[in-house]
Amino acid sequence: MTSPVDAQTLTVRAVADALHVRASGLGFISGPVLDRLQDGRSVRVDFDLIVLEKPNGAVVSRAQQSFNLSFDLWEQRFAVTRIGPMPRSISHLTARAAEDWCLDNVTVPVASLGRTGRDTPFWVRVEYRIPERSANAPAEDSTFTLHTLIDVLSRRREDENKAKSVEAGPFRLGN
Amino acid sequence: MRLLSLLLLVLVLLAPWQAARAQDVEPRDGAIIESVDLSGLSRDSLSPGLRRELETLTGEPLNRERLMEIAARIEGEQPDVVAAVRYVARPDGQARVIFLVARISDDDSLVENINTRYIVESVEIQGIPDADISRSLRDRLQALVGKRLDHDEADELKRLLEAERPGYTVERRISRGSERGRIRVVFEFSEKEGTRWIPFTPSRSKFVYHSEQGWSGALDIPMGGRSHRVTAGFMFSNNDDLVEEYSGVRVAFESRKLATDRLGARIEIARFNDTWREPTLFALAADPAIPEAYRTRLTIEPSVTFAPTPYVRVTGGVSLSELESLMRPPDSQNANAVVTRIDYDQRWYGSRDVTQRVEASYELRTSAEALESDLSYTRHLASLRYRYSQRHNTVIANLAFGGISGNAPLFERFTLGDSTTLRGWNKFDIAPAGGDRVFNSSLEYRYRFVGAFLDAGSVWNNNGEMRFRLSSGFGLQGDNGFLTLAFPLNAEDLNVTFTMGVRF
Repeated sequence: MTSPVDAQTLTVRAVADALHVRASGLGFISGPVLDRLQDGRSVRVDFDLIVLEKPNGAVVSRAQQSFNLSFDLWEQRFAVTRIGPMPRSISHLTARAAEDWCLDNVTVPVASLGRTGRDTPFWVRVEYRIPERSANAPAEDSTFTLHTLIDVLSRRREDENKAKSVEAGPFRLGN
Repeated sequence: MRLLSLLLLVLVLLAPWQAARAQDVEPRDGAIIESVDLSGLSRDSLSPGLRRELETLTGEPLNRERLMEIAARIEGEQPDVVAAVRYVARPDGQARVIFLVARISDDDSLVENINTRYIVESVEIQGIPDADISRSLRDRLQALVGKRLDHDEADELKRLLEAERPGYTVERRISRGSERGRIRVVFEFSEKEGTRWIPFTPSRSKFVYHSEQGWSGALDIPMGGRSHRVTAGFMFSNNDDLVEEYSGVRVAFESRKLATDRLGARIEIARFNDTWREPTLFALAADPAIPEAYRTRLTIEPSVTFAPTPYVRVTGGVSLSELESLMRPPDSQNANAVVTRIDYDQRWYGSRDVTQRVEASYELRTSAEALESDLSYTRHLASLRYRYSQRHNTVIANLAFGGISGNAPLFERFTLGDSTTLRGWNKFDIAPAGGDRVFNSSLEYRYRFVGAFLDAGSVWNNNGEMRFRLSSGFGLQGDNGFLTLAFPLNAEDLNVTFTMGVRF
């Protein structure tokens, strides 16, 4: 379940054999995520880059990549690590640059697109999710009151904010 | 971690053994820099300007601030690394400077959190006194100081802190220390609701269906913070609590921290319209000793609560009610009483997910001449509730006794036979005008949301016959919802009662 992100500018480009995507102002380093980072804790972000035949159409290719973010308390800059078998890291980034770096490190091989892109246009969807941090009150304190109901509903809304998507197209390779 | 270990090894190898003892001594500011080494990164990777900067350091007086700036510039030019400066005091009073550079992605702890490279300056506990933590655990916390933050160890300590203080949740935060490169680790405790000295009045919200009595509804909307709140309450034809069926509104203001966590206050103002079932009206007509029915009930109940311990609360207050007569409006009666109550509530958290909770209370309500009550009465009610939970298994036992002397208003009279007591019986059959004596007990077992129960009790009048009643049932039983079939065990007819509803 994802909610669309508004006011995005999505661009794609093929660099070497990989399709890269850029999106302006993803803005996931803000609000509670930023608070958490500034408290010295780390945050994981999961990205899903999906190439589609048409809007909400069949999936042509997809790539998933997770990143670990932290905020250097002394440098007041963000550090990001691409998690996986070939980790890459970067530090001393602004929030915006950290977001861009994440997205730039989620790529799909151009070869996986086949004829799509060369002969036919394609659409791109970027989804990102910030997994809910482990917490919280134990079951015996979870007596259901209207107050807790409101909390639960609020949390659900927050979850939806943490799983967002942006989709754009049509694109062609060489555009 | 591997690379850092390697770097440390390189550092040891680089330092001549003669200087080994001197390494323990920090060179003084202003000491002449004998040499500058860069470890873990080729100088060729740096910009010409930064290389020149490194070269010009040799022969210069030691300036830690400047060296830290250069380390930051190395990180700026090489964003996938972190750089630290190490100083080696030479026997001749000079200093050796080594820039230790590590690639972030080669170090698991840096991958997890970039702040892991900083040295822990202090570890603090907030929210509870340090003395509330065992000595051994405090020692383990303090053992973090002076080293890089080990996240696994810190998470384990957080878990142990929560295990030692089960009434609290613990959050771990990191903040800047007093000097560059140092961090403070804070374990912040916040109370769970169950450990407050004075809890807020539990919500009465419910929507309940009883196959003999119909629908009842109550909705509480609490608003406010952790210490003070306002609750707006609405009743919709509620016949599940009393002999009357009442609808209306109530507003309650509560504070559970008046200067101290041990002192709280509450005032509730309620106005209800009452309707009465035929069996109740017949019973009232048959027994003129019982005070008359009313069409509206306006109640004001201010009270103050003091908690001498976290488990015991003593409450004192008054209950002022104006009851407008059902038969002779607008005539009314006042039912005013002094209310005294003592509550005991304690939980135990054992191993293997075992939780036990005991709640006991005794309440005395007595009318007083000073309060100009038209009805003179005294009401006692004592109750005990025990709950044992282990994973999906829950056992709940309830016991209550009550007695009234004098002429208590109908809302004070005891009833049994609703969605929580003597399930399977209908209160309008067994005591349609309530009683002035009550005994009630129940035993309930739940596995996840499936439960079975056995209820026993009696409600009667002092001058009447006491009849002991039993009922049993089963169904879906949870703290917030239920759907049960119940039947009386010692009735002449087998009459199955269906109840369902939510409480929240």
